[in-house]
Amino acid sequence: MHFILAIALAAQGPASAPAPALTARDSAFHALNRLAYGARPGEADSIARFGVMRWIERQLDADHVPDPRLAAREREFKILDYDRADLAGRYRDAVRERQQMQREAAASGDSMRPRGPAPMREFRELGGELQQLAIVRAAISERQLREVMVDFWTNHFNVFVGKGADRFLLPSYIEETIRPRALGNFEDLLIATARSPAMLFYLDNAQSVAPGSAPPRPFMSPFRRRRFGMNETNEERQQRQRRQPTGINENYARELMELHTLGVDGGYNQQDVINVARIFTGWSIERPERGAGFVYHDWAHDQGDKVVLGQKFKSDGEDEGVQLLKFLANQHATMHHVSAKLCARFVADEPPDGCIDAAVAAWERSRGDIRTVLRAIFTSPDFWSAQAVRSKVKTPFEFVVSAVRATGVEPDDTPRLAQLVARLGEPLYQQPAPTGYAETEAHWVNSGALLARMNAAMAIAKDCSSIPAIDDHARLVDTIDQQLLGGTMSTHTRSVILEQITDLTDPEQARVMAVGLALGGPDFQKQ
Amino acid sequence: MTISRRVFVKSGGLALVSLGLDPLFLARAAFASGRPTGRPSDRPTLVCLFQRGAVDGLNMIVPHGEAAYYQERPRIAVPAKDVVDLDGHFGLHPSLAPLKELWDNKSLAAVHAIGSPDGTRSHFDAQDYMESGTPGVKSTGDGWMNRYCQHDQEHANTPFRAVAFGPQLPRILAGSAPSLAIDDLQAFGLRVPQEAARDRLTRAFEELYDGAGTGLLASSSREGFEAVQMLKRADPTQYRPTAGVDYPPGRLGKTLLQIAQLIKADVGLEIAFADCSGWDTHVNQGSSEGQLSARLRELGLALAAFNHDLGDRMRNIVVLTMSEFGRTIRENGNSGTDHGHATAMLALGGPVNGGRVLGRWPGLGVEQRFEGRDVAVTTDFRDLFGEILARHQGAADLGSVFPGYTPDPARFLGAIRG
Repeated sequence: MHFILAIALAAQGPASAPAPALTARDSAFHALNRLAYGARPGEADSIARFGVMRWIERQLDADHVPDPRLAAREREFKILDYDRADLAGRYRDAVRERQQMQREAAASGDSMRPRGPAPMREFRELGGELQQLAIVRAAISERQLREVMVDFWTNHFNVFVGKGADRFLLPSYIEETIRPRALGNFEDLLIATARSPAMLFYLDNAQSVAPGSAPPRPFMSPFRRRRFGMNETNEERQQRQRRQPTGINENYARELMELHTLGVDGGYNQQDVINVARIFTGWSIERPERGAGFVYHDWAHDQGDKVVLGQKFKSDGEDEGVQLLKFLANQHATMHHVSAKLCARFVADEPPDGCIDAAVAAWERSRGDIRTVLRAIFTSPDFWSAQAVRSKVKTPFEFVVSAVRATGVEPDDTPRLAQLVARLGEPLYQQPAPTGYAETEAHWVNSGALLARMNAAMAIAKDCSSIPAIDDHARLVDTIDQQLLGGTMSTHTRSVILEQITDLTDPEQARVMAVGLALGGPDFQKQ
Repeated sequence: MTISRRVFVKSGGLALVSLGLDPLFLARAAFASGRPTGRPSDRPTLVCLFQRGAVDGLNMIVPHGEAAYYQERPRIAVPAKDVVDLDGHFGLHPSLAPLKELWDNKSLAAVHAIGSPDGTRSHFDAQDYMESGTPGVKSTGDGWMNRYCQHDQEHANTPFRAVAFGPQLPRILAGSAPSLAIDDLQAFGLRVPQEAARDRLTRAFEELYDGAGTGLLASSSREGFEAVQMLKRADPTQYRPTAGVDYPPGRLGKTLLQIAQLIKADVGLEIAFADCSGWDTHVNQGSSEGQLSARLRELGLALAAFNHDLGDRMRNIVVLTMSEFGRTIRENGNSGTDHGHATAMLALGGPVNGGRVLGRWPGLGVEQRFEGRDVAVTTDFRDLFGEILARHQGAADLGSVFPGYTPDPARFLGAIRG
């Protein structure tokens, strides 16, 4: 059945201009590669029958897609039972216990002493669950597009888990800030990230105050290490005063415009950066070490009027920042910058203007409704063009998750798969730079990384359950082509795999070798 | 006649099957056929460390002779008594003390007030410009180190000519000339315990990617398999550090150790590149002690260990540090520093004309600053990079390495001995 026909038969969904050669099954496979983390065995066929555009509409309406299996798996993750304050407390205890052990080790003069029951290790394991959870969700959720968008926004609004308090602030950032808004409204998401303790800490805005401002006494500095005034020595007081912020910090202001909204060519200058930083003075965290939430300190706020991109912002306390975020969210440069990034994710590394323009128009029309913007991309001819299909190389995360899905591997609760993703160069939540991880082939394809992918492929092949051991090698390779590659295996790949397994008489050995070569070979790197 | 390595590796594999010959012996012979005269150990090598995040040049190479330095940094300036004095005006941060002996034997130079003619304070943009080598031009597709490899092909017959340590190939080495990303030398290649099975799998994947056409997947995999072959032969991990040399724990020490191993293995390493991060000190930067001090200590110990480990071989090696920009002269409200303009770089090794702080010092007075707040750039980074390529690596054509820039030896700082 050809794709035109599939659209005609689909109950809903706007028309688009697909490539004439794309069959319904090919279209389904393409959609699964981009809107989802690849096809599970048989999935391309069932979506082709269901109607590709209809399936896309269902994915856009994620709230109405039942997901009981994921809900059951999520209950295994202890980290979801803890809130920010719990995690902060556990981290504090872990640090305290480690210090205690170090003191004891120093006192006994034995630095090599065994570490004993390590609460810090337990905390790290708990934190590591977040990575495993991301893989489980991406692999088994029925709301695939939402998971793809969570990954997109997590990188767009990157927070590095290794920076100080973000070790315990990040889980709630993902759960409460990003996930509920992944298919919502951009402005809403932007404001939520700006007010999130994780972002306020990561890009230092929590410590940005108007020069010369001072907290009302008695001041409970959010960055103090010890209760104010209690047994404080002179030196400690000086130290505390040194730690007290005394001026603006430009870090968040700059990245907000460069990365989150306008883009580096968005037309702002250094004075705009300074003025944005002034607007956000006082946006802080109430006792970050306790995992507390957003707080606005009026005493720290720069009370003057500010001008950003020629627009005047009258001194208006906390609301000034909200007004600025709304202003930035609705700039044309922002629409273009974020739309182009979305198209790079969904269409091609160098996306054509057509899909970007369609996304921008949809953004303007809907005032930043993410689902409307995505729908415009998925119905753009560029999305379905021959140039776009199988043109993108999978990121390490996409590669591992798509291999897990294709092979029917059930992601377990060990860190094994997360470690695999990390070894391929994309340890989740561990990108220190505010850019997040890159989307394009040039960042991920190099000789060392490819060898690592081949190793990962062989490891995953051992657990493959979607391909039975078949005596007939030709049939085995056919099955692999259909189940793992959606029928896109090249004749070269087919002949090399057949040649490699020809002398393997044990069907089990042949199966693992053939699956490993298919997953590690060039065809499976593409999406 | 030069035998193409590609053809050779394949026919070597066939030879193994049909004649029982050791293909590695043949590979060696093929490698030798295209090798330039001169022993590999005489090849010039450049090791670049990118301090990502923008190192505070003023606290790395401290202008302790400037009153303004102390006025602007009441909380984070390095006190003059702690600075390791170099020339009465500048000194090393105390954590870099292990490098002082290199200064004294004139194999360490510092370059101050160096940076980009572009005024961006974006990490992303500034790193991009420093790696593309085309400040202000974003459309440049490749990196300047790769362009150097494209245009000076004398040493192009080894996959180890240009190696970046890390899981991804950095922008600076992106481009059409083959270059290699190695995350860990010890784990490079396919992981199969039995050698015969490993060789078989390696050949299978090699065949698979051989049919992947032209793109990046095909060329990258080809480079990877060539490297695997050579590594197997040269086994660089057999080289232990020279007695008494201790690399500091951590990623940087391990990377420099592995670079030293590759150099000792004579696999033709000409350009090595590695990242070292943690320099974006917006908050509580510290002065003699603290956050920046800890990063500099690791850097100083790692560079000193590398220098001692390679000993006499340092006569052909230049190590260069670089960073996308410097930081504000005035400390910020959080005892840190924000994004600035010019920074400082270090060059060390036998060919370095050391014992000097190079570059014109613009001063820290308000009117001497860039945009009234940052150290002004008096040396375009391309003049230092270009000088090292021309006088150390022997680059013939700097114009193609730095398009849009006319390299003029008159602007060279004299960082490399004539």
